[in-house]
Amino acid sequence: MTHRHEDDAHDHDHDHAHPHAEISEGRPGYYDIMETAVRELLIDKKLIGADEIRRQIEVLDSRMPALGARVVARAWTDPAFRARLLADGRAACEELGISFYDDTSLIAVENTDKVHNLIVCTLCSCYPRPVLGLPPDWYKARPYRARAVVEPRAVLAEFGTIIPDEVEVRVHDSTAMVRYLVLPKRPAGTGHFSEEELAALVTRDTMIGVVPATVDVAGAAP
Amino acid sequence: MTETEKLVNRLPNDIGGLPADPIQRVDHELEPWEKRCHALADVLDFHKIINTEEKRCGVEALGAEMVGKLSYYERWIVAFANILFRKGILTPTELALKMKEVESRSNED
Repeated sequence: MTHRHEDDAHDHDHDHAHPHAEISEGRPGYYDIMETAVRELLIDKKLIGADEIRRQIEVLDSRMPALGARVVARAWTDPAFRARLLADGRAACEELGISFYDDTSLIAVENTDKVHNLIVCTLCSCYPRPVLGLPPDWYKARPYRARAVVEPRAVLAEFGTIIPDEVEVRVHDSTAMVRYLVLPKRPAGTGHFSEEELAALVTRDTMIGVVPATVDVAGAAP
Repeated sequence: MTETEKLVNRLPNDIGGLPADPIQRVDHELEPWEKRCHALADVLDFHKIINTEEKRCGVEALGAEMVGKLSYYERWIVAFANILFRKGILTPTELALKMKEVESRSNED
């Protein structure tokens, strides 16, 4: 039996995270089978190696927002590193041992008292994956992609982030080759924090730019 | 702008600036096949078999209805199959037979 999304047969094109079809008795669904078939055919033809897929899954599993948080904390505590990060985001991340497994370049954009940055990919789901891991579903969904570029302040408000009128909002639309990372503002009152303590304040969403970094993040996800 | 002019002006992925619903902060853990599909995409890109932009175009070429109704990784794997057919790397028959084999194998498990 297949697991088509019959329940998604609504007539509009909302690209929200689809609740995934229930898996009955652990049997693979139609698309699961298609993935296995495509992969095995390509391996049979020696176009890709089975071990490459396995290794890339390990790479994907190793990428998480904690990596980006290390980059941000370093930039907050080391002005020379911050300058290098803003000059060439990819090279600065590589300096911290974060390898880029794709051909993308990375531009770090800095939040200040005058500018608030937000990243989006209107066309699809481009995201600084080597540094942050995979994007959340809402980042890939229609409401965020459609609205972030035209009413960013309203979108930010839905995340609880109110940007004062005198602060400029800049929205960066990612592409297949160029990805962005927001360098959030260092929260006030953290002068005595160690780099590690600072990194703990930096969540995924602060580096997308939808929320500010704050000191009361303890226990918040991820 | 007329209805058809709107269609001409915007391909399915080109939604930046259109009106849309409030943000819902949804997320889910990837299912194992979705993670494999993502890894497959990366490996196809490494080998220059399908690059990121070809993948995005391939998803767009599915058309608005499929883009709207399939989930994210469902769109990817279907787009990969179509692109591989077009490039002459796989044939539809080959894939259909392989899918039957994979399915019957999983039924035996």
